[in-house]
Amino acid sequence: MNVLVLLAVILFILMALIGGKKGIKSFIALFLNFVVVIITVLMMNDPNADPVLLTLLACGIISAISLFYINEINSKTKMAFLATILTTVLLLTFIFIMTEKSMIQGFSEEESDGLTIFSVYIGIDFVKVAASVIIMSTIGAIVDTAISITSPMKEIHQHNPGISRKELFMSGIRIGRDILGTSSNTLFFAFFGGYMGLIIWFKDLSYSLGEIINSKVFSDEMITILTAGIGVAVVIPVASGITAYHLIASQKK
Amino acid sequence: MEIKKYIIYLLVVISFIGSMIFVNNNYNFYDRTIVKVTDTSETSRTEIIDEYENKDTMVHQQITAVIQNGESKGETMELENQYSESQSIHSQLKKGTEFFLANDGISVGDIKRDKYVIFVAWIFILILLLVGKKQGALSVVSLAVNAVILSIALDIYIKNPENSLLIICGISIILFTVLSLIMASGWNQKTFTAIIATLLGTLTSLAIAYFALFVTGEQGLRYEEMSFLSRHPQVIFMGGLLIGSLGAVMDVAITMASSIFELYEKNHQIKLSTLKKSGLEIGKDIMGTMTNILFFAYVSGTIPALLLYFKNESPLGFTLSMNLSVELARALAGGIGIVLTIPITLYMAIFFIKRKQARL
Repeated sequence: MNVLVLLAVILFILMALIGGKKGIKSFIALFLNFVVVIITVLMMNDPNADPVLLTLLACGIISAISLFYINEINSKTKMAFLATILTTVLLLTFIFIMTEKSMIQGFSEEESDGLTIFSVYIGIDFVKVAASVIIMSTIGAIVDTAISITSPMKEIHQHNPGISRKELFMSGIRIGRDILGTSSNTLFFAFFGGYMGLIIWFKDLSYSLGEIINSKVFSDEMITILTAGIGVAVVIPVASGITAYHLIASQKK
Repeated sequence: MEIKKYIIYLLVVISFIGSMIFVNNNYNFYDRTIVKVTDTSETSRTEIIDEYENKDTMVHQQITAVIQNGESKGETMELENQYSESQSIHSQLKKGTEFFLANDGISVGDIKRDKYVIFVAWIFILILLLVGKKQGALSVVSLAVNAVILSIALDIYIKNPENSLLIICGISIILFTVLSLIMASGWNQKTFTAIIATLLGTLTSLAIAYFALFVTGEQGLRYEEMSFLSRHPQVIFMGGLLIGSLGAVMDVAITMASSIFELYEKNHQIKLSTLKKSGLEIGKDIMGTMTNILFFAYVSGTIPALLLYFKNESPLGFTLSMNLSVELARALAGGIGIVLTIPITLYMAIFFIKRKQARL
């Protein structure tokens, strides 16, 4: 049997056993997200399509699946959705400028040696693809942080109906601060694990620090990791702000 | 207190500005020759169509650049640059771009990227401080400490290759877990529970991954597409798997432990069955989003390679299995670790609370 199939079956059984109906839904969501990523990549194949716009669209669908399908459509998930989209757009502007300036797009010289059987002149704007990759690798963490903030804020508002907008905003920020450390840790270790081969490779070939930091692969990985961390931090005030604004405004009606 | 705060802010801003000035003027610290583009002109532009009918444009640029370091500092030189409009390998040079000369002395090597990496690092630090204040500062410190530990661990591995990478990763994991969790939530029983649960969760998921690889004879795993390999791919894969899921497992363990202990703190007489039920509810809420985080962190990086394969008319199944099998296996194994950590943390916390209640 295929390793992937076996691992997926084990994961499914565990999620169903421990998570029940919600666990099964989470597994299906994971599968749907995979399909969304593949379809997005297939659509990027069209040289006339804008990879960044496609990614934004994909991020919208992915966060809708994670928020509205696993949970349900309510004010908590709607605000988390809005916060995710807003953060993604904000972050994208920054990422786009940085990828263009630092020229980390495409394949490095080291990689291209292994790609000689391929034609690399394929007419797709790799600067935009690079920006898409970075935003896509953060989307899971942004959605997670957004819902972890809007959901307790709603509870706080329900228990203290007299709370002012500023107090509510600040309690959102405080919740965010508590999860900031663990969320950024999650991302960092995921990337560390993925790049371990690369780090060993650099060390084995005794690259100097100057060569490592200026190389395309390393700076690409670093900028991805750091931007992911920025995304997780930026979504905290965005989600708190949107939720505080909305909850107080809907109360006044 | 107020003054101390302003001094800290001032120090941060000064080091930010200082390091930006340094990294924009550090030419003399490099042995390789750095040049700065002062003028570019396009000399030719040819449409190319490859055998799969992909259209691209090759552009030749004539570059005038000034040497920034070494013996010929200040001299102007002319060179040529060639790139495709897709910029899949070489980049379009613009006025102001700084780059290293390749070893032959006349062609374009690496772009000088250090200043951008440092800039993004500073934006990251500043935003974490701004949003997270003290907790933000602690996260930055804990990330830096973890990066240093990892680097030292890998150095030890490279110098003593007879040691197993898995054992070195195992020891680093204990260090990572203890340090990060204590920094995140202090020295208390909650942290203690989370540490044990994290280690048990990671260990069990590793055992399951090993079992799955063993039973299937690693069928379906395409190590050959793992780029940047200088060692046996299976070792790198397992080590990466161990470290990669650690952050997520820690996150699950501390989230569960915090909320269960908080319920107990609010009501010391709380029934264990109530605790178990609420704990499980929290676990159900986080398992979906946590597995998603890992999934996207792993899979997104393969997009450029997927595009390249598709554009070269590789079949869908072949493309996916070549590029995604390793990443998917990592994400799935990490997901298994996340889900397993939920009951492990739950029962660990209940075990400790039971002991506390018995003492009352």
